[in-house]
Amino acid sequence: MGSYFGLFKMHFKGEIQYRAKAISGALTQFFWGVMYIYLYSAFMGRGIEGFSTAQMVTYVWLGQAFFAMRFVNVPKNVCTQIENGDICYNFVRPLNLYNQWYFSYIGSTLASTLLRFIPIIVVASILPASMRLSLPVSLPAFLLFLIALIIGMLINGAISMFAVYLTFITLSTRGSTGIVNVVVGLLGGVYLPLPMLPQALQNVLNYMPFRCISDLPFRIYIGNMDIKTALVQILISLAWLIALIIIGKLLLKSSLKKTVIQGG
Amino acid sequence: MTKIIEFSGICKDFKIPLKSKGFWGGVKSLFKRQHKIIHALKDVSFSIEEGDIVGYIGPNGAGKSTTIKIMSGILTPTSGDCKIDGFTPWKNRKKYVKNIGVVFGQRSQLWWDVPIKDSFLLLKDIYKIPTEEFNETLALLTKVLNLTDLLDCPLRQLSLGQKMKCELAGALLHKPKILFLDEPTIGLDAVTKLAVRDFIKYINRTWHTTIILTTHDMSDVDALTNKIILIGKGQILYNGSFAEIKHKYGTAKTITVEFAKEYPQVELEGYEVVSHNKNTAVFKTDNKEFNTRDFINHISEKYELVDFSVDMVSVDEILAKLYTEYDI
Repeated sequence: MGSYFGLFKMHFKGEIQYRAKAISGALTQFFWGVMYIYLYSAFMGRGIEGFSTAQMVTYVWLGQAFFAMRFVNVPKNVCTQIENGDICYNFVRPLNLYNQWYFSYIGSTLASTLLRFIPIIVVASILPASMRLSLPVSLPAFLLFLIALIIGMLINGAISMFAVYLTFITLSTRGSTGIVNVVVGLLGGVYLPLPMLPQALQNVLNYMPFRCISDLPFRIYIGNMDIKTALVQILISLAWLIALIIIGKLLLKSSLKKTVIQGG
Repeated sequence: MTKIIEFSGICKDFKIPLKSKGFWGGVKSLFKRQHKIIHALKDVSFSIEEGDIVGYIGPNGAGKSTTIKIMSGILTPTSGDCKIDGFTPWKNRKKYVKNIGVVFGQRSQLWWDVPIKDSFLLLKDIYKIPTEEFNETLALLTKVLNLTDLLDCPLRQLSLGQKMKCELAGALLHKPKILFLDEPTIGLDAVTKLAVRDFIKYINRTWHTTIILTTHDMSDVDALTNKIILIGKGQILYNGSFAEIKHKYGTAKTITVEFAKEYPQVELEGYEVVSHNKNTAVFKTDNKEFNTRDFINHISEKYELVDFSVDMVSVDEILAKLYTEYDI
């Protein structure tokens, strides 16, 4: 376990060095936040039941603050490694391949999230009232939000491993991240918060793993669901997390038999 | 001597999609893909003894890297069997790779944006090296490879040669029994190359590490080992001593003679005059029976000489000859 945690730390350290990247990221996220608030306000027009404008604004700011963990990436080093063949070094270490990549990915995702979220949260909390990020509805809701957020990040990692699997097949990271992110973006409430979708669709999506990444924690934070529902949903996401990791490991195992290392 | 590596009847095929030419070819291949089977290795068998340094040579695309990748557990062969140190590499990968070190000359295993020392510490965790042993090995590697100033730099700031030294150290931290080097001296300057060679010899001597090395630089092989395996078009062509090959193919020598007076049109049996100008001439012989001393004695009795020099065929020329002979 120690060596996997070592990989986690290594990628955390690697990511945290890039301050300029984080600053420009935060600035972009802030700009998009304002855009989204205007856009969604126009959409909401007459208002949506159970999703007030104030809740929407908070949802948007949380989304921007935790942007780094909302979308799924193929771990940066893994994709370049697959494309240029450095991946072979991952095979000559006495480690499980899936775990190696999983922990590296979580390390860099956590680092880039931590680098970005504070400035956005701070600025969004002092904006004029109509644009302001509100406090969590209650202390229990806040604690559940944190738990759901951590599980969400872990699910993001598990889905990212599917993108790695696709990269193995297609040898192109752009394609595989593209496919995965369209799915996560649409079905996970990144492009449009789930409460703004038709109820029938919501009924299905509420039980899918994609919304567990960010939609669920945000809605617990803004009080869009009561504590009991939140607990049930968190249990569902835990079940998804385990299922996704098991499926991912099996898929990777089968694809590795066919691995070809590019070049030289 | 015990055999540490045994390769028997290994075949590896790759299936690659055929790309058709031109625009319509491209459109057609969107719907119907044709595949071509490439036989990268055809029934390759050899064995290597513990503590040896073996040069694994062959032209581009011969299957060298494929063999190394199979030996290091990265690729699964299509058929055949391989036992290394009691393991089948692709079956017990995790257990097996603890005992091997691999350096691919064109790739990097260290982490790009953190200091080298941090990468080494992570490798310590990965291979579960006890702290005391780790410090000892690191101290030794640092001394021999002269890494003191590099340990605190991130990998991205190092030059190619510095990087290679760090890669070598990284692959040896866990004191592997077997070391695979895939073109370790590629792109290195003369000084670094010599340092790397000395280091490889040193490790082989002190730790009795078995070393398998692929390279295109024949002076590497010349400096490091007498055992070579020659591969071409996926087949083993020669497996044995390097000296023998040199002896068989490297008999030709050229002798350049500078005369005190004008070149006197010398005719000698077995020697052919390759070129001459006002007072120098270049002689060449293919026959190993003729020795240089007799030639010089013979010629200096008759003429007054200013200077002469003898050149043997270079190792690269021998290899080029070998390649033509085996048609690879």
